[in-house]
Amino acid sequence: MSDRFTPPDPGAPVAVRFPPVQRATLDSGLAVWTLPHTALPVVTMALVVPFGSRHDPADHPGLAGVVADMLDEGAGDRDAIGLAAAFASLGTELSVDVGPDVTTISLTVLSRFFEPAVDILFDVVARPRFEEADFLRVVEMRINRLRQLRSSASAIADRVLLRGVFGDHPYGHSTLGTTAALEALSIDDVRKGHARMVSPVGATCIVAGEVEAAVVHDVVARHAARWPMPNGTGKAVTPTMVQPQPPRVYLVHRPGSPQTEVRVGHQGPSRHVDAYHALVTLNAVLGGQFTSRINLNLRETRGLTYGAHTGFDFRVQGGAFSCDTAVQADATPLVVREILAECAAVGTTRPAVGDELALAKSSLTRGYVRHFETPAHLAHAAARLATFDLPENTFERYVPGVEAVTAADVTAAALRYVRPQEATVVLVGDGTAWRDQLTEFGRPVEEVEDR
Amino acid sequence: MIPFTKHTLANGLDVIVHQDRHQPLVAVNLWYHVGSKNERLGRTGLAHLFEHLMFKGAQHQPRGYFEPLQEAGGSLNGSTSADRTNYWAVMPAGAAELALWMESDRMGWLLPALTEERFDTEREVVLNERRQSYENRPYGLAYFALSEAIYPSDHPYHWPTIGYPTDLRATTVDDARAFFSAYYHPANASLAIAGDIDIDVALRMAERLFGEIPAGPSVPRLAVTPAPAVARRLLLEDRVELPRLYLLWPSPPLFSADDAALDVAADIMANGRTSRLYRTLIHDRRRAAELGAAQGSRELGSLFQVVATAAPEVSLEELRQSIVDEVTRLATVGPSTQELDRSRVQAESAFVSRLQTLGGFGGKADQLNAYNVYTGSPAFFADDLQRYLRLTPADIQQAAVRWLDPDKATMLSVVPTGQPGLALADSIPATVTT
Repeated sequence: MSDRFTPPDPGAPVAVRFPPVQRATLDSGLAVWTLPHTALPVVTMALVVPFGSRHDPADHPGLAGVVADMLDEGAGDRDAIGLAAAFASLGTELSVDVGPDVTTISLTVLSRFFEPAVDILFDVVARPRFEEADFLRVVEMRINRLRQLRSSASAIADRVLLRGVFGDHPYGHSTLGTTAALEALSIDDVRKGHARMVSPVGATCIVAGEVEAAVVHDVVARHAARWPMPNGTGKAVTPTMVQPQPPRVYLVHRPGSPQTEVRVGHQGPSRHVDAYHALVTLNAVLGGQFTSRINLNLRETRGLTYGAHTGFDFRVQGGAFSCDTAVQADATPLVVREILAECAAVGTTRPAVGDELALAKSSLTRGYVRHFETPAHLAHAAARLATFDLPENTFERYVPGVEAVTAADVTAAALRYVRPQEATVVLVGDGTAWRDQLTEFGRPVEEVEDR
Repeated sequence: MIPFTKHTLANGLDVIVHQDRHQPLVAVNLWYHVGSKNERLGRTGLAHLFEHLMFKGAQHQPRGYFEPLQEAGGSLNGSTSADRTNYWAVMPAGAAELALWMESDRMGWLLPALTEERFDTEREVVLNERRQSYENRPYGLAYFALSEAIYPSDHPYHWPTIGYPTDLRATTVDDARAFFSAYYHPANASLAIAGDIDIDVALRMAERLFGEIPAGPSVPRLAVTPAPAVARRLLLEDRVELPRLYLLWPSPPLFSADDAALDVAADIMANGRTSRLYRTLIHDRRRAAELGAAQGSRELGSLFQVVATAAPEVSLEELRQSIVDEVTRLATVGPSTQELDRSRVQAESAFVSRLQTLGGFGGKADQLNAYNVYTGSPAFFADDLQRYLRLTPADIQQAAVRWLDPDKATMLSVVPTGQPGLALADSIPATVTT
């Protein structure tokens, strides 16, 4: 019985088996990657096209989002509903996810429907109809969505933080853009945006699942033939990253709010940062998981929130570091004070050492194998390689990379990449009881409207 | 099909093992057949609060629950519904025994570690969860209002799983202890182990770690009178931009006759771009900003719902009329062959997709436990798929006739604060207990 009450050893770490990516490139410039995965007759396809809200022209924030949304509103021989019905009859639906850097068009189908799905998918990127009636509906839906988000405290907080961190750079707005810009948009802008942004050059078609590389190559090559390399490519340009604004406290006063949405953040490095593994480890210590410092402090010790998280939002051109939480209204200044203090301490007075560092590293390295279970996991992992043009051995390097991280590496990464004194603070809540205390954070306090 | 071996320990614990060696992972999943339905007024929210307490560490876990499992590379969580509470961990294969040991320790030895201080902090966390997920979220209180209206106060689905704040504040650590003794024991639980592990090894581990925990008192099945379908018009003012209309009908329980037919009816009516209401209310006329429907299946009785958010300047009355027209049409002529063919291939595809992950919410281990707890047989996966493949247009049409009487719908209008005139005519303010 005595050993009944001793926890068993967690066993030896298991090796991560990321399948080899079989690569080919079509004449059009489209890269085709196949990742074998044979547990089930299922295939996930992800077409990663390098256009996103980063490529929005200065006078059209939201254009890339509308272009992406319009792709599956009718294409080739099918109108908008015909297209949805065609995917539905293959037991699937198309997902079009527009992000700041890339747009990912993906679906998961039973293997026997692989070829018909590829056929429709290339209609979507190469032969969208761009009809006026569909355009009016898409724009109106996006304007309605923006309006709906005005009543969401968390969405307001996210929006104000992006703006505070990235200013006038296109990263400073969400992919929805602004109501004024959407109202000014024409179908012609969408057609031109599509011609400028949606090209096979630099795009990657990722296929993971129970299908052979030779079949993938043949099927994709045949159907992608309708998506040729454009003549005289007018490559999408993005402005250079803006200098960070001096940090501020932004208050969005919402009378009667039972909680305050809190964001604390500043600009951060791109995915190509040398200290990547140290940053991942640092984040696990500070706020990346349940047992991280900020969550233990604010939730487990004080009960002030349902959860608090930090993260590095790595993008192609730079990125952001932020801490996100929602806290009971009366604790707002205390929580901001604690977040800033935790961010400062990890690089100075309370570095991550010993058991705490070992726990963070162990959870990352031992747990890495969980991220590659399904074709969808593999396709989306490969999509990150494509998005950031990362070396093929990125996943193999992860575990040794994190294992090699030292306490000194984490401290150095914290000092350089977590800078609470430069952080913008966003508070969305009822400021009546505490707005006067906000000057203690040593940065100008600005009240902004929640619209 | 999910192949499995099931063995019931002497203390009543069902142990289900599924081997799948494609990935070096093991999923551990434990269901307790208790949820907010087992609470009473005055102590609502206890089942969910108790789920939180299960993560605070048991007698032989001085480092708490998360730390050893995260250190071993695991991912873990739990959830509470009206019907059941589930806990899961997905582990690298070598750490399966650790996850089972942690589960067994909190099944057998939780109470010695449950202090007043832990309890009080966790209650505050739950009150904050309630604020974040419901009170401070647009439309977040709508389902609270609907449940209170549709189910009488002695029906176990009358109150929300998250609980009433007054009840949460009144709950004591002794209530939590009594709750544990009544419901958290082997005979009221089902354990599933799935992944890269020998079946015999897994069964022996389960026997060794859980076998000595005493069987607890038997939990009688709740007897309820089904909620009647009654016409109601309710109104809730909220911090929202656009008015939203909810139409609900009491409908048959999970896995009973007409449950699958209504599930498919919901898709045909209002889910996705191939649905009928998408075509009329969004594609053709742009009258709705958002749209959806669901057969919200539960153990003691379900709710069928259609939800539509009005586009700016569109009245909820217009949405109501369109929805009622579509419900009437489905009850009159039923779905087309094409609609049903699509639904069958979607069902096949969805069931294959459900075989992709071992663990987590909805993974294979979770499904084995769901079928075991609700039907007594983990093999029900195959029967469940057949429920969908067998449906005929007449099944769906008749289910609509039986359950979706437009004259007996509960209708809730959620409108921007200060604009009650945007609700359906003759709506009365809904009750949301706090």
